[in-house]
Amino acid sequence: MKRSITLRMVAMFAVTTLMVFGVIGAALYGVLSRELARHQREELQTAYQDMEYMIKRGGTPERWEHAQAKMDTLMQSSGSLFFWANSSDPRYRYGENLAEIESRLVPDSPMGVLVLPGRAYPLFTLTRTIAAYQDRPAIQLTVAMDSMPYVHTLHAFLTALLVLSLSAVLLVVVLGYCIARVGLRPLQKMSAEAQMLGARTLSQRLQSESLPEELDDLAVAFNGALSRLETAYKQLEAFNADVAHELRTPLTNLIGETQVVLSRRRTAEEFQEVLQSNLEELERLRSIVNDMLFLARADQGEAATGRVRSSVAGEVSKTIEFLEPILDETQESIRIDGDTVAEALIEKSLFRRAMANLLQNAIEHSRPGAQIRVVIEQRPSSVSIGVSNPGEPIEASHLPRLFDRFYRVDVARHNGPRQGHGLGLAIVKAVAAMHGGDVFAFCAEGMTTIGFSVSSPAEGP
Amino acid sequence: MPRACRRHPAPLRDPLNYERVFTVFPMKILIVEDEPKTADYLRKGLTEQGCAVDVAHDGIDGQHMALQHDYDVIVLDAMLPGQDGFAVLRALRAVRQTPVIMLTARDRIEDRVKGLHEGADDYLVKPFSFLELLARLQALNRRGRAQESLHVRIGDLHLDLISRKAYRGQTRLDLTAKEFALLAVLARRQGEILTKTAIAEMVWDMNFDSNTNVVEVAIKRLRAKMDAPFSPRLLHTIRGMGYVLELREDEGAP
Repeated sequence: MKRSITLRMVAMFAVTTLMVFGVIGAALYGVLSRELARHQREELQTAYQDMEYMIKRGGTPERWEHAQAKMDTLMQSSGSLFFWANSSDPRYRYGENLAEIESRLVPDSPMGVLVLPGRAYPLFTLTRTIAAYQDRPAIQLTVAMDSMPYVHTLHAFLTALLVLSLSAVLLVVVLGYCIARVGLRPLQKMSAEAQMLGARTLSQRLQSESLPEELDDLAVAFNGALSRLETAYKQLEAFNADVAHELRTPLTNLIGETQVVLSRRRTAEEFQEVLQSNLEELERLRSIVNDMLFLARADQGEAATGRVRSSVAGEVSKTIEFLEPILDETQESIRIDGDTVAEALIEKSLFRRAMANLLQNAIEHSRPGAQIRVVIEQRPSSVSIGVSNPGEPIEASHLPRLFDRFYRVDVARHNGPRQGHGLGLAIVKAVAAMHGGDVFAFCAEGMTTIGFSVSSPAEGP
Repeated sequence: MPRACRRHPAPLRDPLNYERVFTVFPMKILIVEDEPKTADYLRKGLTEQGCAVDVAHDGIDGQHMALQHDYDVIVLDAMLPGQDGFAVLRALRAVRQTPVIMLTARDRIEDRVKGLHEGADDYLVKPFSFLELLARLQALNRRGRAQESLHVRIGDLHLDLISRKAYRGQTRLDLTAKEFALLAVLARRQGEILTKTAIAEMVWDMNFDSNTNVVEVAIKRLRAKMDAPFSPRLLHTIRGMGYVLELREDEGAP
């Protein structure tokens, strides 16, 4: 089951409330219980002092009678006070079960707690000795007070606290739910808006102005993803159209030529001629399909295998050697500049393929007799190879798209006889990606430079 | 098949010479391929090359035939009804070591690795050309043969592969190192049609479809040096396919 933010928030609210009430309740309970105990001690003290005052000045059995009468009255009237008096003279004694009470009291301690059988709650006691006076010996007077009201008060408080806490938690749950709903409303609005965006309306974006600050980042990120998606989608659409176009020409030739040749009686030479022409078209188709499969593999993230540390300049000159017959024809020359001792981990056949495409591109786009430069540059974690040829500058808007499949800066420029089929630089980009590198293109001082890099982690000697 | 070159005077362009004897390699070949058109043209093409060809249309028949008979090479499609090519290959390798060329539609590395791991000797990715298959078959056929000779003679062309010198009759040809390498590649495989891609790989070590006309230009220059001034012509263009170096009977007379 998916986690709901609302439920999570409500649960967190409830737990927080419970914790706050728990802490405050415990503190209050502690204060109350201490105050009650103090209050009781004071009452006990007062009762004791009353009696002590009376007994202290009484040195005769008559006066003791008075004191006894007073104790009787106090016990009866309050119902929660108890007195016991003990002395060496049996006449000056008071209270039921005196011996038993004596034995239960903790000796040498004025304050105590006494549990009597038949009583639900213990008694708090205060025991002191009153010095002898005239005829009367020293009396040990014990005043006790029932703790029942104290315990009852605490119980009532605890019950009230629990009931209040639970009610508060319930209230917080209900209110928290409402708060969460209200608080999350912008999110719902946003998701409703996002749902409205369909494949047909890829150019639409979320309105981030009306969203709260917190959702702004999300909306911006979402819109960014949409932008990338839209670009990719448009490229794919354009790419499909390009592929169809690129395949259409050879297919038209194949079908047309075959139909024409079959519509009359022909000599073997004529058939042979058509078959040969067809074969050329078919080879072109095969080459397009193979290149597209290669690009698809690179798109799927296939990395170059069999990379070996090789001299970059060495591989470049091998490729130049391959192109020498063409260079002789066009009277062009290629010079290698820069870091000619740089080495990199490369898969040779891929590297040469990319290099051949770059050089061929440079040869095609420069005039006969031009000087083409290959500049090798060692960077911290990569080696870059740029191919520069003199030529008219390419508009800046075209530069990053040079590596797109079938992309042509100027359609008219390519109407003449051409070699590749618009995948050359896309293959360069794929090779760079397979080597963990990238491509670049820029125009400066009448030179157009297009190149790529291969990752080359620094290696110790 | 009509013999074009007999009935008409040779056109300016080098026609495909039907009289020409391919380097026949009398191999016994099994083709396991379910696509009928592919199987048909492979059978026809290879039979005309002098091979004895059997065809199986699914994995079950293919495995049965591969195990029952002694073939020199088996051309095995990876995707087959019944059981796929990898299964056939496994069953075959358990019993015998007949060389196998796998045909795959997908050229993902895993497929190649899988095929070679299971014991395939070579693989070709569709779409492949017939010439490519021929070249691979000849390579397998050539495998294990004795060292190639150090001198090649075709008509009055003589190549000394050690001193790297070439002659037409008594005339020493003035060739650059690459031109000699190109000529040597063609001469060693005389009578064999070499595609531009194959030539680029063998001469320049560029094993990819380069879409350049480098090979055309190089052949043109080589031809200007070693063929144009002499007779008969030895270096022929097979339009749409590639180049072949051979002595043709009908061009024997000047």
